[in-house]
Amino acid sequence: MRTGDRPDLLLILSIAAALCIGLLTIYSTAEAMAGTAIFERQLLWCVFGLLAMVVGIRISMRMLDELAPYLYGFSCLLLLFTVFLGSGPAGRWIVLDPFRFQPAELTKATLIIVVAKALADLRRKPRRGGEIYVLLIATPAVLLTWLQPDLGTAAALCLVVLAMFLWAGYGPGWIFLLVSPLLAAISSSSLILWIAFTVVLVLVLLRKRLAFSRWVILLGGNTLVAALTPLAWNLLKPYQQARITTFLNPAVDPHGAGWNIIQSEVAVGSGGMFGQGFLHGAQKELAFLPSRHTDFVFSVWAEEMGFVGGVLLLLLFWVIVWRITVTARKTVNPFSSFLVAGVAASFAVHVFVNVGMSLGIMPVTGLPLLLVSYGGSHLVTTLFLLGIALRAGMSWRVM
Amino acid sequence: MRTESFVGASWPWKVYIALFTLLFAVLAGRLFYLQVVRGEYYHALSDRNHLRIVPRPAPRGVITDRNGVVLADNEAAFMLSAVYSEFDSTRAPLLAGLLGMEETELDSLLEMASVKPFQPYLLEDGLSVEEVSGVADNLHRMGGVLLDVVPKRRYPQGELLCHLIGYVGYSELESTGHGGLVGRAGLEMVLEDHLSGEPGYRKEVVDALGRVVEEFGGTQTVQPSPGSDLMLTIDARLQRIAESAVRATGCPGAVVVLDYATGEVLCLASLPGYNPNRIVSGLSQSEWQAIVDDRANPLLGRAWAASYPPASTFKVVTAAYLLERGLIDRDYKPDPCYGTYHLGGTDFGCWKAHGRLAVVDALSYSCNIFFYQTIQLGSLDDLAAYCRTLGLGSHTTSVLPGEREGLVPDSKELDRLYGRDGWGLGNLLNVSVGEGELLTTPIQMAMVTGLFASRGGMPPLRIVYRPRELEDSLRLEVDRPPAQLSDRTVEVVEEGMRLAVEDPEGTLSDAFSDFAWKFYGKTGTAEVPGEAHAWVVGYLKKPRTIAVALILEHGGGGGTAGAPVAERILTEYLEGEVHEDG
Repeated sequence: MRTGDRPDLLLILSIAAALCIGLLTIYSTAEAMAGTAIFERQLLWCVFGLLAMVVGIRISMRMLDELAPYLYGFSCLLLLFTVFLGSGPAGRWIVLDPFRFQPAELTKATLIIVVAKALADLRRKPRRGGEIYVLLIATPAVLLTWLQPDLGTAAALCLVVLAMFLWAGYGPGWIFLLVSPLLAAISSSSLILWIAFTVVLVLVLLRKRLAFSRWVILLGGNTLVAALTPLAWNLLKPYQQARITTFLNPAVDPHGAGWNIIQSEVAVGSGGMFGQGFLHGAQKELAFLPSRHTDFVFSVWAEEMGFVGGVLLLLLFWVIVWRITVTARKTVNPFSSFLVAGVAASFAVHVFVNVGMSLGIMPVTGLPLLLVSYGGSHLVTTLFLLGIALRAGMSWRVM
Repeated sequence: MRTESFVGASWPWKVYIALFTLLFAVLAGRLFYLQVVRGEYYHALSDRNHLRIVPRPAPRGVITDRNGVVLADNEAAFMLSAVYSEFDSTRAPLLAGLLGMEETELDSLLEMASVKPFQPYLLEDGLSVEEVSGVADNLHRMGGVLLDVVPKRRYPQGELLCHLIGYVGYSELESTGHGGLVGRAGLEMVLEDHLSGEPGYRKEVVDALGRVVEEFGGTQTVQPSPGSDLMLTIDARLQRIAESAVRATGCPGAVVVLDYATGEVLCLASLPGYNPNRIVSGLSQSEWQAIVDDRANPLLGRAWAASYPPASTFKVVTAAYLLERGLIDRDYKPDPCYGTYHLGGTDFGCWKAHGRLAVVDALSYSCNIFFYQTIQLGSLDDLAAYCRTLGLGSHTTSVLPGEREGLVPDSKELDRLYGRDGWGLGNLLNVSVGEGELLTTPIQMAMVTGLFASRGGMPPLRIVYRPRELEDSLRLEVDRPPAQLSDRTVEVVEEGMRLAVEDPEGTLSDAFSDFAWKFYGKTGTAEVPGEAHAWVVGYLKKPRTIAVALILEHGGGGGTAGAPVAERILTEYLEGEVHEDG
């Protein structure tokens, strides 16, 4: 069973460095919040996380493959439970004192595992419409996450699933067609956008050389969607419209989410080239930053460590996704390869959405900065998945 | 090795790496833009985020009369203030429009606010509902503008008892600032510590745009603790009767009524007065100046803060002195009164030729010449010492704001005033009938009268009814010998005061002829430039143990001008009391 390759040292070092940066930043925010034990708790979570990583390294791929549907079903049940009986902030927690646990984080991991299994099965035994089957498998997790309500995480899950399809060889054109109804709806807000969308759609259809019937369905359907969206929009009540625009463009609501982004931008920007110095972030100290140890942890780090520190952290994340992608590429077992590629995609999506939010180029969502944000649920599941990736890199020859 | 067959091995992994690199480059680029390109701007912006402490004033204690009639309480009022450092001056026209004030007026207020740029400065209080709703709708557009609900002092009885209650003004202390009130006059000022309570505060973090970010920490809101209530011994009904009776005469004046069995002061009327509500809601400079410049001096609490020659009302003291020292007895009759008395080159007059009188008749007819002669059996310093045992020449309480001590002249005092040889027996003669240098306040005369009525047993005066502990702590420390009033002396003086009412020739007989109860009294007519001051003092034993002193400035004769007013007050008060009791 043990096959010769040594663990990926660069990956391990990057993970360790990111963990350390997370602990330092949480220590710094804890300094400014009298009477909290978040640093001590995070230390404890790190210990649990490392145990989960060891489990990830030791667990056999075959076993994971067999367990995948059960794990996924179990986590969806937990998610369903929180939809009705959740507690804690935003009702996304299951509380088993002294532990509080976010099933949404677990679901992210089990969704990757189950989609990897489905795609691997499809690859082994291709069949007509198999893609639809894979998408149906992913639907409960996405829907339940949306109902949390956590639209941001649901969208991130969709992106991860799409990235795994990409890994399976479905090209950008295919993926474009898959999401074209959504794009059509969005593009209906302006004539120029709609024309651009339709042109791209026609080009993709031309390149795919699809049958005429497909042309009619795709072009006609998308035009219909684009035409109906403004009508549907006008049927919504003003407050419902406001909610959607706030989600899509938080800057229009300067007192709510958009305002948090402005504060985060001020914090990051005031860091300058070399930062305000460790423990000296003024924005953080005066509590201007919302959720400063969870969602906006990057802002704290960037304020205190400046551009140099911010780029260092981004580089560490880039190294992590690079090394995981390389692992996925060389892994022989299709299930392992899909799984590891999914981990890489999930990691990249999290980093981009979270850091992008801190920098004011992405909407405000509840996605944590993996390995850095305060919180145990995502740390444990992330380190578990990274453990699997490490193991895959060591035993990539195993079919 | 068939690596080519691996999943993602052909092109997808390149797309992965390219996409990831692109995404991270976008993030790094944005980071560069925020931190390096615009770093200076954001750094400056972050410095403007700061901590703001907004004091929350405590509601002051409620002041009531002895029956719970509210004399001072609080109402909720809207107050608008601005923190200068956070206020965007381009919003000034908007704010001025909403408040209906001239822009220049607002500018001058903002200039005041710039003195303490980080603290809220009051722009306007007592906003109407229309103004409030207009401002509230636009509050989010005007950073640094605070709209608060604060307790505002209200005096439901208006002018009633205004001099004793006093009024409040905005505190200039930082700890109580921002709508915090402090007593500026009367008991509001003297009992500030009792009434004021403990202000709370709210600590909040404010961003560069003057908007509240969050309340700092969470334990940083300290609720104010309200001030303690105060119940006075005053009877608001009697006070109102006394004030309107004096107001009807058109003269400035004062009425003091007290219960000599308990020492409780029931009435402390001083006229003219002012409406404290107008002062609290903010007078213009000219309106305030008009009050200050008023020749009638409406701010003066005449009942205790003005001293007058007591005139003939003092004769009860002189008589008691002579009797108590054994210089005369009740049958002693000096030379007859022919209307004038010669001493040296000076004539001392009497208002009428009374003939030969003993002390009882001298009191009831108010003969001067009897006292001019008999006082020469005593001495000025001895008389002064006796007066002091009755409490003349010193404060009657410890809480009356600006209480005057009056003046009981002795030889040392006259030496100081006129030089060792600058005065003589004539001064003593004047003092004996309550003129000359002698000065007393209306409350002192009421207290002296009460002492006679209680045969010296009256407890110290009280104005605070409850809480008891406060009353105890405010009790005046008296270090003087107890009043010397033997029963024999009091009987003689009382007989004189009774006859002043009952004898058809008595000075009070006309005014009190229809009075339903037995009144013991003495009038006084203080000769001053212009019309004389009219005095009345006296007491009842039934139906209430009350003593009264009344003065009308330039009102005329004590018997002709003062007595009818005193009679009206007592009748109206006692009839109401009896009615209530029935």
